[in-house]
Amino acid sequence: MRQSTYLKMGLNMLVHSKLRSWLTIIGIVIGIGSVVGILSLGDAMQEQVQSRLAEMDLTKITISPGYTKASSNMPGFPGMRGSSTDAELTDDDIEALQGLDGIQYIAGQISGSESVIYAAQNATISITGVDPQVWKYMTTLKTQSGRLLEPADKYVAVIGSGIASGVYDQEIGVNQVININGKAVRVIGILEEEGERGDRSIYMPIDGAVNLLDDAEEGVYDSITVKAKSEDLVDGLMEDIVNKLMVSRHIIQEDDRDFSVTASKSMAESVTEMTSSMTLFLGAIAAVSLLVGAVGIANTMFTSVLEKTKEIGTMKAIGAKNRDILMIFLFNSAMVGLVGGILGDILGACVSTLFPMLGLQMMRGGGSSDIYLAPDLMAFGLILAVLIGVISGVVPAYRASKLKPVDALRYE
Amino acid sequence: MTLIKIIETFKKKLNASYVLKSLEKAADFYGEPDNDSEINNPGVITKNSPYGDPARNFAKNLGSEDIFRNGEVPLIKLTNVWKIYQMGEIEFAALKGINLEIYEGEFLIILGPSGSGKSTLMNLLGCLDIPSKGTVCLNSKDISELNESELAVVRGQMIGFIFQSFNLLPTLNTEENVLLPMEFQEENRQIARQKASYLLEIVGLSDKKKNLPSQLSGGQKQRVAIARSLAVNPPIILADEPTGNLDTKTGDYILEFLDGLQKSEGKTIIIVTHDLELIKYATRIVYIRDGEIEKIETCKEK
Repeated sequence: MRQSTYLKMGLNMLVHSKLRSWLTIIGIVIGIGSVVGILSLGDAMQEQVQSRLAEMDLTKITISPGYTKASSNMPGFPGMRGSSTDAELTDDDIEALQGLDGIQYIAGQISGSESVIYAAQNATISITGVDPQVWKYMTTLKTQSGRLLEPADKYVAVIGSGIASGVYDQEIGVNQVININGKAVRVIGILEEEGERGDRSIYMPIDGAVNLLDDAEEGVYDSITVKAKSEDLVDGLMEDIVNKLMVSRHIIQEDDRDFSVTASKSMAESVTEMTSSMTLFLGAIAAVSLLVGAVGIANTMFTSVLEKTKEIGTMKAIGAKNRDILMIFLFNSAMVGLVGGILGDILGACVSTLFPMLGLQMMRGGGSSDIYLAPDLMAFGLILAVLIGVISGVVPAYRASKLKPVDALRYE
Repeated sequence: MTLIKIIETFKKKLNASYVLKSLEKAADFYGEPDNDSEINNPGVITKNSPYGDPARNFAKNLGSEDIFRNGEVPLIKLTNVWKIYQMGEIEFAALKGINLEIYEGEFLIILGPSGSGKSTLMNLLGCLDIPSKGTVCLNSKDISELNESELAVVRGQMIGFIFQSFNLLPTLNTEENVLLPMEFQEENRQIARQKASYLLEIVGLSDKKKNLPSQLSGGQKQRVAIARSLAVNPPIILADEPTGNLDTKTGDYILEFLDGLQKSEGKTIIIVTHDLELIKYATRIVYIRDGEIEKIETCKEK
């Protein structure tokens, strides 16, 4: 029998199949839909992370006070540091580190939240005091208007785009004056939109900020930022920084350590890793539903073989070989998989489109709502569905092919 | 000699590549039992037969059983055939040492009550099963020596089956059902379609080509089954109670048709039945009871 005849017979069986077969197909649709949808979302997330990483300064190392083992294991989440600490970072630490090879720039910074008044409206905004000598070389931030901080600046500020338009009724422009903790501060630059917390931050020279932020002290920093000369030096430099600070801060045992060193590079790596594991985890759940779908196909095929026993007998009587019967049933189950795959791809496209619409924008790269389903992923979905169809159909089809014609004909 | 060669040689010898005038005669004789479509001019049909030149009529050569039996090798030969079924711990012999020779061009009726073993015998004659003991030789070849695939080839090329319950594939339309045996033999599609059209025309169902079996009456279904059994032009037609589910008039039409096939085509017709009415068509009757041949009756005059 010709391949085209197998195809025709398989298709004929599918078209005339009962509701049961279509329910089986739904199983595959859900399975393929979720696998394709989740992988597509994962791809989008990965792409998003990659684009963020491309913007990120991977030579940046941050030293912050306080240390727990957990924080060393999860460098990407310094905010998760378990214990609060009395330890401080000071000019001494900066001095100690300055001699290290591989450091291009080093600067301390302070941060806090203060009430900021503009046009008679009050809002609490996060303020970061940075070293104006080096900040513009160390930051990746860019201004959309105005300029970044210069060494001579003091009571001036560069504000995030979110503050410029969004916090106050009246938009803040360059050279406007805002009032921080009772002190007039002139806005000299507005940053480009970042899409993150940075949009709602104010950056100003540390000398000015230290006078405006409560609890701030001169020569004491909330964190020290180091820019390595190159990305390759980051790992070695981190080690050197730890060793150097251990010595300069007179810490002998690891348990007594009171500072953390994190690199944006390792943070980036851990975010990438986390995105992949999340995709993998969700993909595994989707795969389970696919497995259930496959069992459904096998079940339906077994029932179908049972139901068609007499027809199998007739076909054998009029000249069908075992191979013909095997192929007809295999093509049928492959067809079930194919139809499930096509509908599953459509469902996958819907899933990856609807998720961001439902507000899970972080999963879809900044909330763009365009349908994104890579052709290779769709092809993968189809091939997987057909493969599952064939694999699930092998045993029932084999059984059908091995039926004795005389027994099959007698079957009622 | 390979199996295919044996079959080819046999077909050439029988020159069975023709569906002849008798088919239309049979149809004409009884008319259309269910007021189906009119059969076209029989001459035209046979002249345009995709099965070849209709001029050669083998009926004259096959009119008398004495001629074809004279010194020829039997087409089917059963020697001491036993079929034993294991039912739990009990062994049940459905056939007990059957010896039977069937020759080309015979219209053989195997007659017996239910439980006599006639269906088992039919399964063996149709190569659907192999004997527990003894030999079944088809054209001198023992079918027990063939594997399932080879048996399928034999069935597909040499035997046309007609069943009591028609056994049409319910999801295929009339034409597709007739095409199916040719698909199994990988017949050229265009020729196969011509043949299917021709056969459906002969059985008077040209206008039902696209109908599903569920849209046909019992008689129409059996005519489709006959058309299907003739699709690959096999030398043997094996029918199991072909009129069992039909009314008398339709049943007679079917039998006339088969009779025509035997007379004009030289086809070997084997009918398994318990219906005594059918014996008038037979050239030979095999009476079977309790798994044994009770007697064999030769009908000189039909």
